[in-house]
Amino acid sequence: METNERGRRRRPFWYLRRRPGIVRADVDAELGMHLEMRMEELVARGLSRADARREAMRQFGDLDATRDYCRRQDRAKENSMRRSLIVEDLAQDLRICLRGVLRAPITALVIVVTVGLGIGATDAVFSAADAALLRPLPYSQPDRLVRIYTDVPPNRFPFSVVDYLALTAEQTRFEEVAAYGGRGMTFTDGAVAERVRGRDVSADYFGLLGIRPALGRVLNASDAREGAARVVVVGHDFWQRRLGARADAIGRSVRFDGQDYTLAGVLPQEVGPLEQAQDFFVPARWQPPTRKGPFFITVLGRLRAGADRALAVEELHGINRRLFPLWRASYQDDRATWGMIDLKTHIVGDARTTAGLALAAVALVWLIACANASNLLIARVASRRRELAVRAALGASRGRVVRLLLAESGLLACGAALLGVGIAYAGIGLLHDFGAAYFPRAQEVAFDSTARWLLAALTASSALLFGLVPAVHGAGGPVDESLRSEGRTATGGVTVRRLRRVLVATQFAIATPLLVVAALLLASLDRLERVDLGFDTRNIVTGLVLLPSTQYSDNGRIAAFWDDLHRRVAAIPGVAGVAFADGRPPNDVNNFNNFDLEDAPTPPGQSQPITPWVAVSPDYFRVLGLPLLEGRLLDERDAQAQNLLAIVVDRAWARRFFPRGSAVGRRIRQGGCTTCPWTTVVGVVSEVKYAGLDKPDEGTVYQPMAPQRLFRNVIVRTTADAATTTAAVRTALGAIDRDLPLSSVATIDELVARALERPRSLSVLIASLALVALSLSAIGIYGVMAYYVQQHTKEIGIRLALGGSRRRVLNLIVGQGMQVAAGGVAVGALTALALTRLMASLLFGVSSSDPFAFASVCALMLFIALLACVVPATRATGLQPAVVLRTE
Amino acid sequence: MPPPLPLLQGTLDLLVLRALTAGPMHGYGIALLVHGRTEGHLAIEDAALYQALHRLDRQGLVDAEWRPSENNRRARYYELTPAGRRRLREETANWRRYARAVEAVLQGA
Repeated sequence: METNERGRRRRPFWYLRRRPGIVRADVDAELGMHLEMRMEELVARGLSRADARREAMRQFGDLDATRDYCRRQDRAKENSMRRSLIVEDLAQDLRICLRGVLRAPITALVIVVTVGLGIGATDAVFSAADAALLRPLPYSQPDRLVRIYTDVPPNRFPFSVVDYLALTAEQTRFEEVAAYGGRGMTFTDGAVAERVRGRDVSADYFGLLGIRPALGRVLNASDAREGAARVVVVGHDFWQRRLGARADAIGRSVRFDGQDYTLAGVLPQEVGPLEQAQDFFVPARWQPPTRKGPFFITVLGRLRAGADRALAVEELHGINRRLFPLWRASYQDDRATWGMIDLKTHIVGDARTTAGLALAAVALVWLIACANASNLLIARVASRRRELAVRAALGASRGRVVRLLLAESGLLACGAALLGVGIAYAGIGLLHDFGAAYFPRAQEVAFDSTARWLLAALTASSALLFGLVPAVHGAGGPVDESLRSEGRTATGGVTVRRLRRVLVATQFAIATPLLVVAALLLASLDRLERVDLGFDTRNIVTGLVLLPSTQYSDNGRIAAFWDDLHRRVAAIPGVAGVAFADGRPPNDVNNFNNFDLEDAPTPPGQSQPITPWVAVSPDYFRVLGLPLLEGRLLDERDAQAQNLLAIVVDRAWARRFFPRGSAVGRRIRQGGCTTCPWTTVVGVVSEVKYAGLDKPDEGTVYQPMAPQRLFRNVIVRTTADAATTTAAVRTALGAIDRDLPLSSVATIDELVARALERPRSLSVLIASLALVALSLSAIGIYGVMAYYVQQHTKEIGIRLALGGSRRRVLNLIVGQGMQVAAGGVAVGALTALALTRLMASLLFGVSSSDPFAFASVCALMLFIALLACVVPATRATGLQPAVVLRTE
Repeated sequence: MPPPLPLLQGTLDLLVLRALTAGPMHGYGIALLVHGRTEGHLAIEDAALYQALHRLDRQGLVDAEWRPSENNRRARYYELTPAGRRRLREETANWRRYARAVEAVLQGA
């Protein structure tokens, strides 16, 4: 009977486990031996063999059951030993690779930091893009929601009351339509006065979107009826901030604009993008229209289930066509039609480009980091071939070696993932808090299960991406050859080199477009920063004052208020001038108006020209310092006039409409009015940006500020510092009416900085990612060239010994590296050329194929590559042939 | 001689461990030793003994190895592991406490 030696406390790793057959045989042999010895004993006492056998069996007891029991015990032991062996193997792998990793700490650190950065940043940006672009809207059945708008290509603008009433009366394709308009009111509770932002909403607004309140109820049809009590629904944030987060606030009265509203309900904390940052919702009481405009209502529709969108659009066109002739007196543009788009598309807006760009940039950095890690690990494997060959020769299977190398990559990937989790967590927190300027629905960004799964997937793919190639590579090749060769001219040297060159070229090919994009964004930011606003922007403090119409219904009282405010502010020490305007540079224009020129009337059926239209007090030009180029400025008499008789235009307007000759004395009619008296251009001033820093000067019209205007920006030029002046203006305002807040306080410089914030942070983000990509590429090419030099030490030594010039050796090595870099850069530049067109909307004053940006990026990349090649190359030329050849 | 007593549950493992303190031994040897020491007062089936040995092996309290026996057969020898030695100490103490407690009651009665 065959038996086998069995390992004791510690089995060597190569020991074969006992197969089930052997377990069985072992038990049989043991029990058989026992019976034989017992029989021998009995025979010695004089029993016959047969009797002895029977007696031995009797003394033993239940043989079959014992055999089974023992086998079961042995098998269980085998299994648990096998399991612990696997764990031991793994632990051994981990110990070995931890040692391996720590032997090259810099490499490990570079890999963990760069890949971790890539994983974390990609994860964070993806979750923002997911919230902004991919996730369905948090409304009921969001795919049937559309926004309906007035379509005058290339512009889409809101509806008017006329449009909305006609639509609700005549439409049949929508289950419901609802509408809202923006509204600001002043909240007062005796202690504070705060300017709050909210919405006038139609009665069915909440029903259409399927919004449920956190407390109380939402608005319904009876609230909108004529003579109904005033009710308000407030946002969660307002409820916490101003109503003390009390559940019993429902039913109490809240004071807005000097009137009491009964609190009907509070919205939940998590709301959809339309309700975001809104403090209140009140039932809309839009006045019956007397003319077609103004256009200020955003209309939402819910399509019937299974409704044909084309038919719905056709119906919209039909209603508009029937409506048009009825209001021809106040609206002539018959190109205007109605259209609709998915609500989600409307909300996503132009975030797609920004999100796409940011996501592409971080994902590319992650890829470069993986390529770089792969490169570094290949180099390590190559230098460890002997170690691996020894392991293989000692009996480690090929699978075991691959596993060892993969475990090493896995360990690095885990380190990277740990860092990545931290970065993703922090990044997602940042995007949640500050992302609203860049992405819609930023408040929905969270480190949720999608983000976690993506992180896991990124980690796993990182490990495979940078681990698989080196692992397969390290396990390949005949063992004995690797052992015999001296490691310098090892087999696979050529393959390794080729592989690493491809990886490095890829790194350059990925990094180049990133740098190009960064260069374009930076150039564009530079142009934006250098935009001339048209006046001295320093030391100007601005703020908004809004008079509630309920308390200020008398024109005389309103005019007196503004006069009083003007006087008090002008008396503040340091104030050099005070003016009022309804807009503010560089991107706050209250009104765009259309008009018709007397000299060049707009033919019927065409759109009239539209320009920014700013109402200003007479001092405005002096306070900003706009020089009068022609004619005269506006004065008090112009403001008192019943009709709009006099306007001042800027130079761009004058040039646009009267390129030959003077604009002064020309006449226009504004707002599509055909019966109003003519308005005369009385003066021309220099240009100022109102519609945004990136917008061209297309002409601005200044009209006198009507004395009874309820809201005005106060514009103060001061020699004192901004904070002191602001505080003084607040005091002056409070002295007249303590319930009036000064809102939107900012200096012009702050407004400009705010306008630049978005392009600036995007450029900074992309530029830093590009820098990471550039350094990784540099590390990559340096690594390859250093390896090349190390591999060819002997060759170089011989060359030098035979009288080869050091210069030629240098050229040879640098040439090798530059070939790789140049290839990558060329491919990258071509890719960039194809891709940057997609980001044209983010650029200002720079073409997406700007030759300077492309050339300087390519030059920079090649220069960095050159530096990275020259270091190992000089080391090579510094070799002493005699020393090299002796040690070989 | 009165008929041998049935074994109390759990005491066989203790006896086997104790028997092995003398050194490595095969199953038959243990059977002889236990039988001799108890002078036939305890009824121990060989079947139960082998089950106990394999159970102890599985628990890591003893180690088993094939070796040539005294008459040059290949026999499976068992040996105490450090864990087995520890267990023996604990179980011996427990048994003594148990026996003392029972004895105390019986004497008082």
